[in-house]
Amino acid sequence: MTTPILEIRNLHARIEDREILKGVNLTIPAGEVHAVMGRNGSGKSTLSYVLAGKEDYEITEGEVLLDGQDLLAMEPFERASAGLFLAFQYPIEIPGVATMTFLKAAMNAQRKARGEGEMTTPDFMRAVKQAGTELNIDTEMLKRPLNVGFSGGEKKRAEVLQMALLQPKMCILDETDSGLDIDALQVVSKGVNALRSAGRSMLVITHYQRLLNHIVPDVVHVFSDGKIVESGDKDLALQLEAKGYADFDGAAA
Amino acid sequence: MPTSTARQPKMRQTMPVRLNAAEETLIAQLKAIGANAEAERITVAGLPTRRVESYHYTDLKMLLKAIPPQAAAANEASAPALRVAGAYQLMIANGVIQSASTAPAGVIVGKAEGGVLSTRDDVLVHLNGAFAKESLTLTLESSVDPVIQIDRRAEGAAAHVTDSVKVFVADNASAVIIETFSGSDAAHVGNHGTYMALGKNAVVTHITVDLSARAATHFASNEYHLADGAKLRTLVINAGAGLSRTQLFPRYEGAGAHGDITGLNLVSDGQHADITMDALHAVPGTTSQPLFKSIARGHGKAVVQGKLVVARDAQKTDAKFMHQGLMLSDEAEILSKPELEIYADDVVCGHGSTCGKLDEDSMFYLMSRGIPKEEAETMLVRGFLEELVDPIEDEALAEALHGIIDGWLLGGK
Repeated sequence: MTTPILEIRNLHARIEDREILKGVNLTIPAGEVHAVMGRNGSGKSTLSYVLAGKEDYEITEGEVLLDGQDLLAMEPFERASAGLFLAFQYPIEIPGVATMTFLKAAMNAQRKARGEGEMTTPDFMRAVKQAGTELNIDTEMLKRPLNVGFSGGEKKRAEVLQMALLQPKMCILDETDSGLDIDALQVVSKGVNALRSAGRSMLVITHYQRLLNHIVPDVVHVFSDGKIVESGDKDLALQLEAKGYADFDGAAA
Repeated sequence: MPTSTARQPKMRQTMPVRLNAAEETLIAQLKAIGANAEAERITVAGLPTRRVESYHYTDLKMLLKAIPPQAAAANEASAPALRVAGAYQLMIANGVIQSASTAPAGVIVGKAEGGVLSTRDDVLVHLNGAFAKESLTLTLESSVDPVIQIDRRAEGAAAHVTDSVKVFVADNASAVIIETFSGSDAAHVGNHGTYMALGKNAVVTHITVDLSARAATHFASNEYHLADGAKLRTLVINAGAGLSRTQLFPRYEGAGAHGDITGLNLVSDGQHADITMDALHAVPGTTSQPLFKSIARGHGKAVVQGKLVVARDAQKTDAKFMHQGLMLSDEAEILSKPELEIYADDVVCGHGSTCGKLDEDSMFYLMSRGIPKEEAETMLVRGFLEELVDPIEDEALAEALHGIIDGWLLGGK
């Protein structure tokens, strides 16, 4: 049996005294796209931050393996070099740091961590231009400070551009559809679908079914009160949309 | 045990100040050159303490422990602290103007006796005037292509160094001038004066960078006069001496005059750096955008004071002071004091001040892309400072300034 890309076992996490993740179990084999759906406040975004290594959370129990490696023992930047990528729900604006400078620093940092040489500037420019064309991103936008003054659509396209350049094994998309109109949603989804491959897995976090019409998942999980309460195929998302979360987690809507 | 003690009556008002070693030396040095009025001033009032408003955060009586002997002529020179490729260079070592290479077109280099600063109620200005023997004068008759670098040094054993520079910029001329302050690794006390007059529509960038030894004390006072339509950009960087204070006195004296007065304190453990601006908008229709930044780490202390004075006639003045502080340690201190003194009634003036640590969300975002912590910090600090360096158009100069900032960042590791 091949090693799954992501394996989460009985993961518990809290922020201050409040337990938010209460025993998450999730296995994502190579090449599969899993969706996690849940109402606001169910802990979906916490799951993405805990996996990426945000400091605010304390892990109290459980383990997470990324391609067989102990993910929770790694620093956030090490997780990235090991192949984890989180597309942020709200990408951070960083004044004074040009997007292009940031992209080059990130790519070279990951290459260095993996023992590869730095990219030459022409190779880098070529890679950016190629990945940017598919996402309707021109190089003018990349000269601007990172995410500063970007529209909602531009921010999400920039996240997918980073994903395309960094070539992660495991992509987590946190509410990638938020703040997108229909056209932008199509561009972003197309960019994400282009990155689906046999060696790459994805975890798509959303609370609307509409994103899953564009990025069609192999498995859908329902997330409630800090854990997965139901799993099924893509039709589960349609049932959720029709019936609401109450039928699955028993709580009033 | 006695249950009570007779108290001495309070006599602070009438008692002469108790002089410390630095003050005693200053008085002796002033008397030796016949500056008896200045000697008397120190004898009566002493160096300013925190009770003097403009020295509130930089108590000179406390901070200035000793004054070294008056500088003798320098007979050795340390390596230049900063090289700007293609710049025309002039040097003043231990207060003595050194011979210079042929000046570029439009530049007349000369010497004058004595100091350059206008009289004002400030001890550093008084001392500069009293001790300055000669001043370097630069007359810029037309726009000057190469960057002009004035390399001001304190060489040899610890010395009390005073020097002065006066720059006249003709109407419609433009120039970029950088002054660097550096020297041997000794407990020098430098007191530097620069006077700059910008003619009508002149455009000048004036950068001053303190790269003195940590053991040294650096004082600089820069006075600017701006005629109609003149545009001035300054960038002060305090990054060397253990104790530094740079005073900026811009005066907007012609309609349409504009100043982008910027500055940066970079302080590490044990350093105290102060930028104090006292600006006068003297006539109607002048504008300024003072923008200062401070970065402090270890037990470093950074001070920025910014005063905007708007004269009664100076209607339509538009001026906003801003100071942004970045603390890289829990022990660092950043002190900020804006002052507005407005006598006109139709102006737009304001002030703002922010202070904080590196943004945690920004750090996490960069690290989540594989950028290690220290590199992420460096990127954010550079980003924070980009606003100051970005307007410097000369590439070699911008590169040299980035080098100073990067050197400071590396120095803390």
